[in-house]
Amino acid sequence: MRIIIAGAGEVGSHLAKMLSQENHDIVLIDPDEDKLKQIEANLDVLTRTGSATSISMLIDSDVKRADLFIAVATSEETNIMAAILGKRLGAKKTIARIDNQEYLFPKYKDHFTSLGIDYMIYPEMIASREVVGLLQQTGSTEIFNFSGGKLSLHAIKLEDDAPVVNKTLAETLQGIDYQNHRVVAITRNGETIIPRGTDHFIVGDMLYVISNQVGIPDLNKYSGKEKFEIHNIMILGGSRIGMLTSKEIGNQHNVKLIELDREKSYRLSNYLNNTLVINGDGRDMNLLIEEGIRNMDAFIAVTGDSETNILSCVLAKNMGVKKTIAEVENMDYIILAENMGIDTIINKKLVTASRIFHFTASENVSSIKCLTGTDAEVLEFIAKEDSKITKAALNQVDFPKGSIIGGVIRDKSSFIANGYTLIQPNDRVVVFALPEAISKVGKFFN
Amino acid sequence: MINYKVVGYILGVLLIIEAFFLLISVSVSLIYGEQDYIYIFIASILAAVSGLILFLLYKKSSKEIGKREGYIIVSLGWILFSVIGAVPFYISGEMSSYTDAFFETMSGFTTTGATVLGTEQFNTISHGLMFWRCITQWLGGMGIIVLSLSILPILGIGGMQLFIAEVPGPTPDKIHPRVRETAKRLWAIYFIFTLSEMILLKIGGMNYFEAICHSFTTMATGGYSTKHNSIEGFSSPFIHYVIIVFMFFAGTNFTLSYFAMHLKFKRIINNEEFRYYLFFIFFFSIIITLILWLAGNGKMEESFRNALFHVVSILTTTGYTITDYSKWVPLCIMLIFTVMFFGGSAGSTGGSIKIVRVVLLLKNSMLELKRLIHPSAVIPVRLNSQVVSPQTITNVLAFTFFYIVTVIIGTIVISALGYDMESSFGAVAATLGNIGPGLGRVGPAVNYVHIPVFGKWFLSFLMLIGRLELFTVLLLFTPSFWKK
Repeated sequence: MRIIIAGAGEVGSHLAKMLSQENHDIVLIDPDEDKLKQIEANLDVLTRTGSATSISMLIDSDVKRADLFIAVATSEETNIMAAILGKRLGAKKTIARIDNQEYLFPKYKDHFTSLGIDYMIYPEMIASREVVGLLQQTGSTEIFNFSGGKLSLHAIKLEDDAPVVNKTLAETLQGIDYQNHRVVAITRNGETIIPRGTDHFIVGDMLYVISNQVGIPDLNKYSGKEKFEIHNIMILGGSRIGMLTSKEIGNQHNVKLIELDREKSYRLSNYLNNTLVINGDGRDMNLLIEEGIRNMDAFIAVTGDSETNILSCVLAKNMGVKKTIAEVENMDYIILAENMGIDTIINKKLVTASRIFHFTASENVSSIKCLTGTDAEVLEFIAKEDSKITKAALNQVDFPKGSIIGGVIRDKSSFIANGYTLIQPNDRVVVFALPEAISKVGKFFN
Repeated sequence: MINYKVVGYILGVLLIIEAFFLLISVSVSLIYGEQDYIYIFIASILAAVSGLILFLLYKKSSKEIGKREGYIIVSLGWILFSVIGAVPFYISGEMSSYTDAFFETMSGFTTTGATVLGTEQFNTISHGLMFWRCITQWLGGMGIIVLSLSILPILGIGGMQLFIAEVPGPTPDKIHPRVRETAKRLWAIYFIFTLSEMILLKIGGMNYFEAICHSFTTMATGGYSTKHNSIEGFSSPFIHYVIIVFMFFAGTNFTLSYFAMHLKFKRIINNEEFRYYLFFIFFFSIIITLILWLAGNGKMEESFRNALFHVVSILTTTGYTITDYSKWVPLCIMLIFTVMFFGGSAGSTGGSIKIVRVVLLLKNSMLELKRLIHPSAVIPVRLNSQVVSPQTITNVLAFTFFYIVTVIIGTIVISALGYDMESSFGAVAATLGNIGPGLGRVGPAVNYVHIPVFGKWFLSFLMLIGRLELFTVLLLFTPSFWKK
């Protein structure tokens, strides 16, 4: 697929990296020559220095042959303009990154489609949705639903009190009905392992478990954590994510939002009726204690500064907060932060990339999730008639190394696959795959 | 930390590719029913076995290629290719010493075309060895790394590092978002040109073997010929003009040929390097034509053909000759010597300084005068009406400085071996610039066989650093390269 990415910022360069590793042809446009040089030295992409809203630049980049045009520059106006131009000049599909929630309302969708923008992404919005989802599922650090929740992927962190620690996978399965869930992967010190029966679990492992609805209550057998209700939430940082999250959950929960900037705090309190906005420094221990951090069920740090987010979450954890969520934009810090005991890391780039990946996958992939802390992805495939995967039972099919089939959704039921499962046409199959295996896996379903 | 495993792995792959091309030469030898196919075959087995060992040994290691690994792979790759490529010349007894064999092979891979073959040997050398000699140039022309990038899917991300280290010019152009696809397209263009020239030379009266060998060495701007007196051995003006045209193409940026195939002629005409390339060729050709015409025989066409042929041949760093230019009047020889420093365009198979650098230097120097009058003015250098970054200018200045210093040091070294100034200058300029024939005792009518052993190794080294554009090899000699 030929993809043009306008804007080599964090999201743009991350997308360029991920997509080029999956054998797409990437052209990256940005006005900053130095930044592009850096990227070109490390990635197999074509870079062009200049403005993405310049028509001659777009023609030069062969936009008429582009299958996908992704505008992810810093400014919303640039993105919208670039996407419109891109479409008019022949790009098949256009995506623009925006930062105005209004544009996403379904009733205005036609305006943008007629302008030539096929899809709009609002990374902060996606991130805040993710946060809200996590608050409802307290046992897992990351959740992703397939086919409306018939199957779901759970990331579970093993702390020292987790019952499965030091046991092998085979041992943990004893006494549990393993028809309903399966550990598809473990990430340990930044490495992703697809476990076999003899592999041990150790403290600090992140387990990725695929489960159907019946299996969800069993998942706490891995972590040992009981599900708990969240009432009191403290949010650090009145960034867009903080604001959108408060807006979403302010009605059902008791939310306190701490923001450093006075002006901004006023604006936030105008906008957020059900949230208590506090003007102060979130790194100030006394302030946190005064505002009752000890009674909080969840602590969400979403300031623009990754270091502040990580440290304040560690602090909150020490104060006894059960669920901590930190926004970490610096990719190198993610694993570090996970090892420091923070329950969940969210990353705007990754959530955005997940959304955009969807457009680059072949048509029989119905959803994709990029995971934090590992470069693996979870994909939901629809098995086509006569595809290779439907020909034999799974242990007879030579499924690519670095990938594993999690579960299968057949009509209304869902179950976990084993060696004897025979995939039928039109089954939806959830596959966990490392980047190098993804394109091979795709061939099995076509 | 340098990842030596990936270096070993890729060198292994490169050796297997070399073994394949040696096998082709074996089959040529067999077609002509020659006995010495066995020597080429031995070299092929040697390459294949050592390649396979390296390949299998490091197959499972991490494939991450950084800048350092890129430079090491490219430099070592070229040296290894020559070390093994020299084997058939040596064990067949065609060359009396391994030094000669190595010199000849390095001269082949670097597309220099400086030979140690004597006049008699040209008549007696087997077809198999002659074919191998010419195919080394063809491989070296577009680059062995670029070839391996285009046929092997193994070098995904690190490919760019290798590409930068091997492709001539200050900034290599990508014509496709993927390095592999870019390399494929470049080789395809190269192949098409070679094939077209082959057909035209056959029509012009060469036999198949000569046509194939000469098209290989023209497109690589190499200059090895199957005759001791080079293209002078073919009297047909048609052949001369065909070769002029293809030397000209070989000296242009292959990206432009890609645009031509996509009918984007405007981009070719607007390319400043191309315009200067044309200008330099015609400027020098016309002056030399006039001098030859006035001072010599008075035959206009022949003077023009001689002048154009040699200007194109030397400027693109091919090194074919159709007459002994060292017998020309001194002014003409001096002009030919000057042209040695121009070289082909960036992204061509030509060597030397390269037109784009010459143009940038000229522009920058002219603007420097302007800057002296307006000290606070912002006066950037422009190429193709785009501003060239100061880093690029610094890089070009450093390159040219290194180039000149290397020429001077080289000349001193060769004079120390007892050569006169003209010959030493000529030998160094012709090997560092990958041209081939120099001046004086290494001029077009003679060869390099009389140079002492040390001199041959030294000149081989100059060829290598000239082909890899100085930086790639010189970097390996800096302490900071090896620091952890």
